[in-house]
Amino acid sequence: MSVESTHVAMTLNDHLPILQVLVPLATAPLIVLIGSRRLTWSLAFIASALSFVIAILLLMQVIDGSVISYQIGGWAPPLGIEYRVDATNAFVLFLVTGISTLVLPYARESVKSEIPARHHTLFYAAFMLCLTGLLGVAITGDAFNVFVFLEISSLATYVLIAQGSYRDKRALTAAYDYLIMGTIGATFFVIGLGMLYMATGTLNMADLADRIADQGANRTVRAAFAFIVVGMGLKIAIYPLHLWLPRAYTFAPSAVTVFLAATATKVAIYVLLRFTFSIFQPAFMFEVNTLEFIILPFAILAMFAASFIAIFQSDFKRMLAYSSIAQIGYMLLGISLLTDTGLTAAIAHLFNHGITKATLFMGVGILVLRSGGSFYNRIQGMGKTMPWTSAAIVIGGLSLIGVPGTAGFISKWVLVEATIEKGWWPISILIVLSSLLAVIYVWRVIEVLYLKAPLAGTNYKEAPLTMLIPMWILALACIYFGFATDVTLTASRAAAQGLLAGSAGMM
Amino acid sequence: MNKQNDNPETFPRLGQILLWVDKKKNVDRIVYALYAICALLFVADFLYHKHTEIKVEEIPGFYALYGFFMCAALVICAKGLRLLLKRPEDYYAPYDTQSEEYPEDQLERIDHDA
Amino acid sequence: MLEQIPTAFLFFAAAIVLFAIPQGRARAALLLVVPVIAALHVWTLPFGVFAQKEFFGFTLDLLRVDKLSRVFALIFTIAAFLGNLYAWHVRDTVQQVAALLYAGSAIGAVFAGDLITLFFYWEGTAIASVFLIWARRTEGAFNTGMRYLVVQIGSGVVLIAGVALIYRETGSIAFELMTLGSLGTWLVFLSFGVKAAFPLLHNWLQDSYSAATVTGTVILSAFTTKLAIYALARGFAGTEILIYIGAIMTLFPIFFAVIENDLRRVLAYSLNNQLGFMVVGIGVGTELALNGTAAHAFAHILYKALLFMSIGAVLYRTGTAKGSELGGLYRTMPLTMIFCVVGAAAISAFPLFSGFVSKSLILSASAHEGHYIVWAILLFASAGVFHHSGIKIPYFAFFAHDSGLRPKEAPRHMLLAMGFAAALSIAIGVFPSNLYALLPYDVEYVPYTTTHVITQLQLLMFSALAFAVLVRTGVYPPELKSVNLDTDWTYRRLIPRVIIGVRKVVSRLWQINSNFWLRRINSAISRLYHSHGPEGRIAQVWPTGSMVLWIAILLGITLIVNFVS
Repeated sequence: MSVESTHVAMTLNDHLPILQVLVPLATAPLIVLIGSRRLTWSLAFIASALSFVIAILLLMQVIDGSVISYQIGGWAPPLGIEYRVDATNAFVLFLVTGISTLVLPYARESVKSEIPARHHTLFYAAFMLCLTGLLGVAITGDAFNVFVFLEISSLATYVLIAQGSYRDKRALTAAYDYLIMGTIGATFFVIGLGMLYMATGTLNMADLADRIADQGANRTVRAAFAFIVVGMGLKIAIYPLHLWLPRAYTFAPSAVTVFLAATATKVAIYVLLRFTFSIFQPAFMFEVNTLEFIILPFAILAMFAASFIAIFQSDFKRMLAYSSIAQIGYMLLGISLLTDTGLTAAIAHLFNHGITKATLFMGVGILVLRSGGSFYNRIQGMGKTMPWTSAAIVIGGLSLIGVPGTAGFISKWVLVEATIEKGWWPISILIVLSSLLAVIYVWRVIEVLYLKAPLAGTNYKEAPLTMLIPMWILALACIYFGFATDVTLTASRAAAQGLLAGSAGMM
Repeated sequence: MNKQNDNPETFPRLGQILLWVDKKKNVDRIVYALYAICALLFVADFLYHKHTEIKVEEIPGFYALYGFFMCAALVICAKGLRLLLKRPEDYYAPYDTQSEEYPEDQLERIDHDA
Repeated sequence: MLEQIPTAFLFFAAAIVLFAIPQGRARAALLLVVPVIAALHVWTLPFGVFAQKEFFGFTLDLLRVDKLSRVFALIFTIAAFLGNLYAWHVRDTVQQVAALLYAGSAIGAVFAGDLITLFFYWEGTAIASVFLIWARRTEGAFNTGMRYLVVQIGSGVVLIAGVALIYRETGSIAFELMTLGSLGTWLVFLSFGVKAAFPLLHNWLQDSYSAATVTGTVILSAFTTKLAIYALARGFAGTEILIYIGAIMTLFPIFFAVIENDLRRVLAYSLNNQLGFMVVGIGVGTELALNGTAAHAFAHILYKALLFMSIGAVLYRTGTAKGSELGGLYRTMPLTMIFCVVGAAAISAFPLFSGFVSKSLILSASAHEGHYIVWAILLFASAGVFHHSGIKIPYFAFFAHDSGLRPKEAPRHMLLAMGFAAALSIAIGVFPSNLYALLPYDVEYVPYTTTHVITQLQLLMFSALAFAVLVRTGVYPPELKSVNLDTDWTYRRLIPRVIIGVRKVVSRLWQINSNFWLRRINSAISRLYHSHGPEGRIAQVWPTGSMVLWIAILLGITLIVNFVS
């Protein structure tokens, strides 16, 4: 690699990439070792907030399109492990740490009511590990390291989902299902990596990209691509590999659902982007065909099938889970267009949907906290008794539909623009039509919350401020990013251009 | 045909004088006067030199006859027209002012002897 | 310096100042002072073009003063004065402001030297005047006002469309003599025609003038239509088609006037008929004819206002202006009756009254140019005017059968306003040379010749004779509570009915269609529910094994695609 990448650690600022992972990673055992129930939340929150600051600092350094390369222990790649930060993953880091920093204050009350106190320390430790894994996946420049961090986050996730069993025993089977599926996905992924290593003899992403570009496509590389796409597809919950998702989201503790919905699938999409565009070349025919004949149809199928299921749901939380699958369809659609604008739309939607879904799942969590369930007949009429929570849900719902003036509108608009740019206007129409389905399922919730009479004998208090404030920050962000479009779009465009530059972008 | 409790004494001075036309006989007098004037005007046509632009004007009494017969025709035609066009007063109601009372607060209805 | 201030702005400024003065005599006095100042201003203006303003690259001439615009502006200020004096008792800010803005806009339009300025004032008159109708504050008046506004604004829209076309064609927005030919000029012509109440476009006039307030109608009667007459005289003098349009205009309203019951509506019809004379004068287009039009407009505004004032006074005292409800009012409202008779004599063109010296200019001009049939129609219309305005109005209001109403004489300020108008009508009739001096062209015309006086008296007296004979024989149609259909029937009845009919058919078809689709959609939804609903195949909880099967299938497909490509 280039000469100037030889790393000389000078200041704390130079160590930011490793600190990004190290802070939560070190916090997890610290929480367990200290073992104090009182301190545990504070430690987790401080770690998360620190990570968030680090992510902002990193994003500021790379938003202009530059790249930070950090060599762990001073071992130069390809032998050593390299952390690379560019606009794309800095954006993902920002989203993940931002959400976790907002989820933690929210989690405090929610976890108190859903999980027995004796498990709190372990819960927060697992949460920290999950965060570590997601951050590591995003930041590393080493393909095998991706697998390692993916497993860290996945294992922590299984544990977190299983914590929902104190509220509903079905959380255990949901976690089990996810365990099976996630493991298969990770296995496929690592098989793909093995094949790549066989073909190229390296695991450093930049190096991989160079060598694949040199030798061109052969069977091993093709098979590796197929395994990696399907393996990651499982984590992303590409339709029809989504089957673990609705149950996992439905039965996990509220705070976990918020965190996973906003970050886990997004990080997986990031990995898919990284492999599809940076390591493999979008110029390869097999890649174009895979995207066009497999990802694209399934993305469109997801937009409709999952939306229809969402329409017919009678459980708010489950409805949102299905809507997530439909929304992932939009992101995959943007990716499969293989254009600058399409990628911009996908990355912007990744962010916008992250904050939108986080708002909504936080809203559900609050409703669950007060009413004890998320079924429509359980939460009906709560718009009157809990006006603040319900108003935030409405804002999130509008953003989910993509009403102008909300974040959801911006990315959908860019997506429609991208399809028209490519001349695929029937797909533009399909996007609009599937948004209409979103109108229906969001309206059902609004109807339940506002137009139905509250259940007899219930008079719920408004949520505690520690939950309301994070939710409203996100709800206002939905509106803010609906007007201040240049923030998200500039970052997304920078990321998209970096990705489309292929291995050149890895230099 | 005065009202039952009409007291002409309270009418304005000018009104009292004009009550002269209240009598049928006096109305007849006016009509006879009109006949006389008309006759005089008709005769007058023969007594001076008419400055005319158009041939028909030279016919003696052209203006008189034209005025009389055209007016009679006008009234008779209009009467026929009424058969065709007359509708009840509330035909366009309520989108019309014809069937409405004039708003009382914008009026100052006072009886003459109030 | 003074000539750089458009006269219209005096009125607009007053409309603002108005709000600073409390409701009462001071405010009513302001309403009287403004037209006086405006009249002096108009009188002192030198001829020429002043107050030019830049506007989006156009030069607007806000003040083009020549003899034609001056005579109209002058009579408009007089009309504003009379109207405001008559409305001395009104304590309604809406009507006061509307009257000022309306008069200002009309005067502004008369002084407009270009078509864009004309357009702005044109719409200004429309918007300001409608409040005089709405001020009656009844449902019927609101609806009538809406109809009026649609027509008036529509006229402005057609005007600006025409102006745009003319500008594209000639590159000029100057308001000068035009020749009918291009679409642009036709549109402008049509727009003027709507405001001038051309036949078939006329019905807004009768509809609205009978609906406005007592005082509002007096103000309405002066401006809108005469502004259109001015615009036609400026833009389309000598356009032959106007002769025939004008002739029809003098003719048909008199039939309606004979059978109309609402006396203010009768006056509106006769107003329409008088406009016809002016339009003929414009169509003939000679200097004599144009002088006739200007003179007739001048005289007409005065006596028409006088007639509306007298009937308005009756309405003010009795609450009705319907012939069938009135009668015998001469006993207690003798002065109003006398003023009404003066107005009637003026409109009928009795010698020594203003109509005599103005209308004859137009009749002479048309005969002089060889339009014999038109001349005959105008002569008939003159007789008809006397019949319905000259005799019918005073007869049914103040004489005829005794209605038993004994209202008090009109208030003093109304009598004063009527007195002014009556005095001016007589003064013009007795000293015509003063009016003639104001006219656009220098023309020698002597109205008082033996022939003219005797023939005119013959015409009028024999018309009166016909009236007397018909009334005494009982042939004369009695005043009945009724409305008469006019062209407004088409848009108030026919078109709505057609629309309702079409709507019925369409809604029936739509219903059949939507039932068909509704059934389709319902079955589609139930199928969707079957598959996607919570218990449906797709949304069910799948056994773990089948999920893995899906993974295998997808991997297989992906591998195949990868290898094949």
